[in-house]
Amino acid sequence: MLTRLAGGLIYDPAQGIDGEVRDLFIRDGQLVAPAPGEDPDHTYDLRGKLVMAGAIDLHTHIGGGKVNIARTMLPEDQRAHCRARTALTRTGGGQVVPSTFAAGYRYAEMGYTTAFEPAVLPMNARQAHMEMADTPMLDTGGYAMLGNDDLLLQLMSEGVGQEVINDYVAWTLKATQCIGIKVVNPGGINAFKFNARKLDVDERHPHYPLTPRDILRTLSRAVAELGVPHPLHVHASNLGIPGNQVSTLATIDAAEGLPIHLTHIQFHSYGAEGDRRFSSAAAVIAEAVNRRPNVTIDVGQVMFGQTVTVSGDTMRQYANHQHAHPRKWTCMDIECDAGCGVVPFRYRDQNFVNALQWAIGLELFLMVDDPWRVFLTTDHPNGAPFTSYPRLIRLLMDRGFRNDCLAQINPEAAALSNLGSLTREYSRNEIAIMTRAAPARILGLADRGHLAPGARADITVYHDLADPEQTFARPMLVFKGGELVVEEGAVTRVVRGRTQVVRPEFDPAIEGRIGRWFDRYHSIRLANFAITDTEMAAGIGSPVTIHPCNRRST
Amino acid sequence: MTSLTLELTAPPMPRIDLSALTPDRLAGRSADAIRRLPLWVGNEEATLGDLFTVTAGDTDDILIRCDSDRLDGIGTGMSRGAIRVEGRAGAYLGRQQRGGTISVSGDTGPFAGSGMTGGGIEIGGNAGDFLGAAIPGERRGMRGGRIQVRGNAGDRIGDHQRRGLILIGGDAGDYCGSRLVAGTIVVLGRTGANLGFAMRRGTLLLTSQPRLPPTFNPNGTQEPGFLALLTRDLAGLGGPFGQLQARGTRVHRWLGDLGYGGQGEVLVWA
Repeated sequence: MLTRLAGGLIYDPAQGIDGEVRDLFIRDGQLVAPAPGEDPDHTYDLRGKLVMAGAIDLHTHIGGGKVNIARTMLPEDQRAHCRARTALTRTGGGQVVPSTFAAGYRYAEMGYTTAFEPAVLPMNARQAHMEMADTPMLDTGGYAMLGNDDLLLQLMSEGVGQEVINDYVAWTLKATQCIGIKVVNPGGINAFKFNARKLDVDERHPHYPLTPRDILRTLSRAVAELGVPHPLHVHASNLGIPGNQVSTLATIDAAEGLPIHLTHIQFHSYGAEGDRRFSSAAAVIAEAVNRRPNVTIDVGQVMFGQTVTVSGDTMRQYANHQHAHPRKWTCMDIECDAGCGVVPFRYRDQNFVNALQWAIGLELFLMVDDPWRVFLTTDHPNGAPFTSYPRLIRLLMDRGFRNDCLAQINPEAAALSNLGSLTREYSRNEIAIMTRAAPARILGLADRGHLAPGARADITVYHDLADPEQTFARPMLVFKGGELVVEEGAVTRVVRGRTQVVRPEFDPAIEGRIGRWFDRYHSIRLANFAITDTEMAAGIGSPVTIHPCNRRST
Repeated sequence: MTSLTLELTAPPMPRIDLSALTPDRLAGRSADAIRRLPLWVGNEEATLGDLFTVTAGDTDDILIRCDSDRLDGIGTGMSRGAIRVEGRAGAYLGRQQRGGTISVSGDTGPFAGSGMTGGGIEIGGNAGDFLGAAIPGERRGMRGGRIQVRGNAGDRIGDHQRRGLILIGGDAGDYCGSRLVAGTIVVLGRTGANLGFAMRRGTLLLTSQPRLPPTFNPNGTQEPGFLALLTRDLAGLGGPFGQLQARGTRVHRWLGDLGYGGQGEVLVWA
């Protein structure tokens, strides 16, 4: 069956199409170029509508142990935002940590078709994939967390060659069915267990003869040499500490020119100037990003209101626990693999620090020149729930609205920010880049994020409204794999997604070393640890789609 | 004007959420519109008219006649008017009530008055567990208003309570006033085990000697000034709560829970 989307304004930055009227054709779940004269079986009249590829969120916490802990800790969130069952959709609740069903439906209702969980602890990978498989409407994927696990630190301390590390990293990707590698506070979570409360980029770990810089260099090299498309996904040291711009710049340098992705960089762009020893370093960070083409960032924008911070960064979550609102929190170790901290938080627009955090995020968006290297995230739910994306898009596209909001925040913070002087307004094309084309490119997903023939027919159609917030909050149509799944902002068909993975080659001899480590220290056997493709498809219910790697010579 | 009257026709098997039936939310609706209000009965959607005989009347004065303990959430979040229940009420009666009055002639289920911030609840029969307490996940129980129970109340009365007054005519269950942050609980009957467990501040006023946890210290016999004010304020109430002035103001005082700051007090009329 051939479906024609006729007359829409196409925004497809991957092909350089910026708001041109064109027809799109769908057959068998893919975009196709039909033979001349072929009649479509069904035509949607999209004259005057905006057509983009389905949006991709490359950093959103939707699965894994910490999300469940947050759900359990905040039953009031589930109660206050309850979504009633319909004939089609199941009941679900929560806004700051929505249930799997609510998250999937809500993402689709905003035009998102793919989302990535950025913190999959290898030990928790099975559960994370089960949760993501339970999240309807979305294709999903995860980044495996390394860099605080004792095996990697032990191998590095022994001075093994880079090839061994590469094998271990590649084995981890395969065993945990992940698409990228993330490092959270490199070495810091591990150092926390040795009673360190701070670990700077060049500070030696209290137990291992290593610094965070060593870990960053080794892992970014491994990811690059294995040809994993997504650069090392880095949650840098010193999150949230005034003056942490210095360690953020050092983190960028630690990659030594290899690709590196700095996530929720807003939390890492703080200066220590001014009467309150807290200031914006967005200009310095943005300049560094602009200057180094190997760096990509996502912002982790703060939006005002109640949310919950969930992070593997036990060290920083412990330091922030006294700010918990409501006053309940937890930090825990997860089987010596890494950590987990859950601290509910309310960002207040009249609070100096929170207001400045909000402004710093927007400054970063507006001062990083290349929209292909900055991604739209709130680090859901750490900066704000993902449901605030439409408002964030309006802040980026509408300077008048932005300045109105700026006039309402804490005046001291507003005075310290140069946000009011930034005249840039994002275009629709740039929004399409940062929410579609660029995430697909940085993750190595050739089959999505664009509208060329051969792509998966993940397509979002928006009404052309004056207010971008309304435009992006409620798409007219969403197609997922060629099927119409959302009409006028409401789910009309429920589909299930697949898990996106990469599978770099490695020498299986590494399993001997890993197996001995498991036998000696872990709670399960190696044989029970790895997740097979069969288990993904049959047991977990989210079959894998393998994306190619480009292995470089070592 | 007569009351808006809802008479339960047959006791339902599943629990019914009646939180939509408050004077605030029914204001301006006709009896027909009220009959058409959606209700969930188990996993099936029904209308109010399927379960109740509705007689038109003043939406600020609602009368519910029911002999079932399945009707939950009566008076949730109400800010004005009156709800009278002739019969029994289920769980979460007057949850997060902000004003107005609720009276129930019979017994109520757990969590009556949980999180309430104002208004009054009168229970003619017995109250279930967690009267005026916080529900799981919440950090604050009752924060204002007054609850009167003529009969007995269950365990965990005033758990996490922060303000407001709870009056129990009969006996209280275990853990009465546990984790109390502030506010006052008066029990005219006996009390159970672990009274005042983990209380920070606030007052438990009793007529009989309680079994206190070991983390309470005796503080002698005193005549606190506030007691005369409290009993005078309550003198207008009917029944046993209106006659507390006769007990005088001389009380034995204990301080605790010492594991939690020890600024709470347990007073027992001498």
